[in-house]
Amino acid sequence: MERSEIIHRLRSIMARTATTQHDWERVGETDTIASLGIDSLAMLDFVYDIQQEFAVQFEAHELVGVSTVGQLATFLDARTTA
Amino acid sequence: MNERRRVVVTGIGLLSALGGDDERMVERLFAGDSGVGRLRSLDAAKFKSQNAAELAPDVLPTALAALGLRATDRTTDMALVVAGQALVAAGLLQAGPAAPAAPGSLAETTAVVFGTGNGPSHALQESWDAYAQKGGRLLRPTTVPRCMANAVSSMASIQFGLRGGNYVVVSSCSSSTVAIGTGYRSVLHGYADRVLCGGSESMFTDALYSSWDNLGVMSKHQEPTRASRPFDVDRDGFVLGEGAGALLLESLDAAKARGATIRAEVLGFGESSDGTHITRPSKEGQAKAMLQALRSAGLPPGAIDFVNAHGTGTKANDATEAEAIAMVFGSAGAEPWVASSKPFFGHLLGAAGVVETIACIRQLELGRLHGNPNLERPDPACTVRLCGRTATTQPVRIAMKNSFGFGGGNATLILGRYEA
Repeated sequence: MERSEIIHRLRSIMARTATTQHDWERVGETDTIASLGIDSLAMLDFVYDIQQEFAVQFEAHELVGVSTVGQLATFLDARTTA
Repeated sequence: MNERRRVVVTGIGLLSALGGDDERMVERLFAGDSGVGRLRSLDAAKFKSQNAAELAPDVLPTALAALGLRATDRTTDMALVVAGQALVAAGLLQAGPAAPAAPGSLAETTAVVFGTGNGPSHALQESWDAYAQKGGRLLRPTTVPRCMANAVSSMASIQFGLRGGNYVVVSSCSSSTVAIGTGYRSVLHGYADRVLCGGSESMFTDALYSSWDNLGVMSKHQEPTRASRPFDVDRDGFVLGEGAGALLLESLDAAKARGATIRAEVLGFGESSDGTHITRPSKEGQAKAMLQALRSAGLPPGAIDFVNAHGTGTKANDATEAEAIAMVFGSAGAEPWVASSKPFFGHLLGAAGVVETIACIRQLELGRLHGNPNLERPDPACTVRLCGRTATTQPVRIAMKNSFGFGGGNATLILGRYEA
C-alpha cells in the first residue's frame, strides 16, 4: 500500500475517534497522536479501527515507541507488507 | 434541606420530527403540520406498521457539527445536542464548536438527569450485529461505555463539565417526565441550584422496531399524518417517534441573580405506580399521579387550564386516561381542555414527556393551544373536554402534563406561565 494511502486512511480513522476537532487534511507525519485528541479510551477504538481497516492484528503494547502519525504509518507499512 | 424554592425553566433544547429547535416546532404545531411520515430509516415494507416521526436527515448531523461534536450513538448524540442547546439558551454556555464547559461555580452546582426508555439503542444494535457476525473476541473495545444507559446523561456531564451529579431515569414512557420531576424536587428543596433535565430516545433499529411492531400497539393506518389519532373512535395505536428535549431548571433566586430569561415555572410533580400489570394501564394509578401533582403544587383541579395528555392513541390508554382525568377533575366541577401532542411528534417513549412539556411551555407562553388534529370522530367514551382539530387562542396560565409508562409508572407535572 502506498504510504500516502496509509496516511489518508489514518486521517479518516482519527477523524472518527478523536475527542477534539482538527483540520484532518493538514495532519501530517510529524503530528503526535496524543496531540490529536486520541486519549486512552479513544485509543482503544483507534487501535480497533486500524485493525479492521488494514486487516492486521497486533497488541496495543506493540505500539510503544510509536508517537507520531508517520511512525504509525511505518509500523503499519511493515505489518501490511509482511 | 427543608426549604422550598420556586423552580423555573431558563433554557430549552429540542430535536424532534418538527425540526431542530422549539421555534420551528411551535410554527408547525400551530399550523397543524404533523411530523409523521412513512418510515424512512428502515425498510418499511418489512413491517405491519409503516409510519414514523423521524428527524429530518440533516437535523442531527447539522446540530452535532454546530457544537463540534462527533457521532457515537443516536440517542446519546441527541441528548448531547439538546443539552448544549438548553445551556446556550440559558446563557450558561457560548454557542459554537468545541463549546467550553459552563462557568466553574455554575458547573459545580448543575446536575444532569435524563430519561430514556432504552438508552443507546443504535450502539446496542451495532454491538448485537457485530457479535452475531464476528463473535465476542472482535467486539469493539468501547462497547460498554457506548452502550450503558447512563451514557445519555454522562456524556452531557462530561462535554459541558457539569459536576452536580448525573444519572438516568428509566421508566418507559414516563422516563423524561420523571427526570424533570426529579430535577424539580432537587431544586425545590435545595439539593441543587440547577438541574439540566430531559430525555432522549431513538428506537429506529431493526430489532427494536420489529419488537414494537410485533407487540401490536402501533397504528397500521395507511395515511401517515392521520395515523396518530388520540381520543378518536377510530384510533388504532401510536406512531413511533424519535427525538430529545432538555430543560435547564433553576431556582428562581439563582435565575434572577444572574439575570436569566425565565420561560416558565414548574409548579408541581406527582408520581405513582399501578402495581397491577406490565402493559395494561390503571385509571386509579393515573388519577393518583395527577392528584399528587396538584397537591405538590398546592392547587385545586379548577386551576388547571389544559391537560397535555399522555394520549398515545391506543384503545386502552386513551379510554383509561380519559376516565382518570374525569375522576380527578369531574368531582371538582372542573373541565380543563385536553389534547395530545403525539399526532405531531409521534410517541417518543422515554423522551415523550420532555418534548411534550416543551410544547406545553410554548403554549403557555403564546396563549395558544395546538388542538387534536386527527380528532375526526371523538370517542363518546372519552368524556373529557377535548380540544378541536385546529389551534385556538386561549388565556391559559397553568398546564398539566401526563406521562404513563409500560411497567405502571405514572408521572404528572404542573407547569405555569411565569408570573413574578
